Amino acid sequence: MRELELYFGPQHLGMVGNFSITLQVEGDRIIKAEANPGYLHRGFEKLMEQRTWIQNFPLVCRINVVEPDHMELIYSMSVEKLAGIEVPEKGKYIRSIFCEMARVASHLFGAWAYANMLGFDTVANWAMYHRDLLLDMFEELTGARVYHIYLRPGGVRRDFPAGFTDRLVKTLHKIGGKVPDYNATFFENRLFQKRAEGIGTVNREEAIRMGAVGHALKAIGMKHDIRKIEPYAAYDQVEFNIHTRTGGDAYSRLLTIRDEMIESVHLIFKLIDKMPKTGEVFTKTPNPFKWKIPAGEAYVRCESSRGELGLYMVSDGGTKPYRVHFNTPSFNNGLTVLEKALEGESISDVGNIMISLYVVAPEIDR
Amino acid sequence: MINKLKQKLLSDFNDIQVNIPEDNRMIVNTKKESLLSLLSYLKNMGFNHFAMLSCVDWIDENEFELIYILSAYPENDEQYQDIEKKNIILKTRISREKAKFITIIDIFENAEPYEREIHEMFGIHFEGHPRLTPLMLERDYKIPPFRKDFDTNKYVENTFGKVPSIKERKEGKK
Repeated sequence: MRELELYFGPQHLGMVGNFSITLQVEGDRIIKAEANPGYLHRGFEKLMEQRTWIQNFPLVCRINVVEPDHMELIYSMSVEKLAGIEVPEKGKYIRSIFCEMARVASHLFGAWAYANMLGFDTVANWAMYHRDLLLDMFEELTGARVYHIYLRPGGVRRDFPAGFTDRLVKTLHKIGGKVPDYNATFFENRLFQKRAEGIGTVNREEAIRMGAVGHALKAIGMKHDIRKIEPYAAYDQVEFNIHTRTGGDAYSRLLTIRDEMIESVHLIFKLIDKMPKTGEVFTKTPNPFKWKIPAGEAYVRCESSRGELGLYMVSDGGTKPYRVHFNTPSFNNGLTVLEKALEGESISDVGNIMISLYVVAPEIDR
Repeated sequence: MINKLKQKLLSDFNDIQVNIPEDNRMIVNTKKESLLSLLSYLKNMGFNHFAMLSCVDWIDENEFELIYILSAYPENDEQYQDIEKKNIILKTRISREKAKFITIIDIFENAEPYEREIHEMFGIHFEGHPRLTPLMLERDYKIPPFRKDFDTNKYVENTFGKVPSIKERKEGKK
């Protein structure tokens, strides 16, 4: 059969996000795939070198559109490490709760993308509605729905308002009450199972070789989670599990995402119970326009909802960072692992595999 | 564990400096000739996850600094080991005029897009890399854009024109 080159671009219905893949196909089988990022390259890392440490926050959160909070977290963590700032106990708990809320919201968005792409429109609308409920909570807490700029070096911007935790628990119970319906119509639905099982399989040896992170590893039984490996914020104060599967295919990856979402909700309940009732939520930092951070370098990492997120930062002792480099989970999963996972699959499963690897294009481009 | 590793590295390689800024990080400064052997040495010791490749332009010293960060994948699915907490930061410097280095994709395959990005943003050529094609940028740049001597404001003005100030617009300039 004749080999053809097929451009699977951002306009394609199966594609989520501004990303394209050039496919070498024979009939409907993919022989070789080449990912082309860059549709959303905004040069944030260069722009950050011209702004002060605090002015960078509006840029940092825009790196990942779906879950900006882990970007803020890692940037704050790295500035804290360079400047030697400690976060107060209550601030740590609020950070953890905030980041778990972000994780649930992000996974719901992922469920929306997956269901929408496969034509499960009912499930997609549920997921979007439930994400909106969480965005309402974010709005109450921070004043913004998507880009919150709530975390800052030294802690968080302000304490929870009165009665916020009760309303948050109520919202999460409302979302959790829908889990059986999600299972019946989507996660355990035979139609979906048939579409996703055995698709885009990545085995253990390949995953290690390709530098996979996040759900690509959890779906093959590896408990690679920075929250456990190198605990930050208040994650060492509470017990929680890392859910894994053994299939390594798109279906296993989606189930680990579902399990992690449920675990995150339980984690929020535990954190709220254990959170100190009183205390400071942030450490005072110097005047942001004159804030000089001692020269040095730091590599920090955290577990975003997509996997290991790293940040390498260099300071030359000035009021602005000298170099900022984000190591985002989608960079590995979306370029090396995706190209490998697509080989030998059918054209109709490209979107399926890409969303199951949880690739978010703006995170690759930065 | 990290102090033991430091001793071991210092006894096996003679032109490196090792320092431990905090518990779980180790910074190894090395000459560019021994970087590849150091990488494969550490990979055999269990640091099998190539986390990232970064580059810093030290324009005053006329050098580029390449930063390779390694960590370990958990080998045991039940229990976390000490090694997974560690991050090893390998640093080497190359001259700014002859911005050339060797690719490491024979050792770590997932370094491929990182090297492509550094090639595009800093203009460092990685010998032996199979596709150093543009990854993200669409225009041609005389100076690679992430170098310190690339002036973003000037570039924007030259490429897209200048937006007139309010005063100029009142005077009828468009």
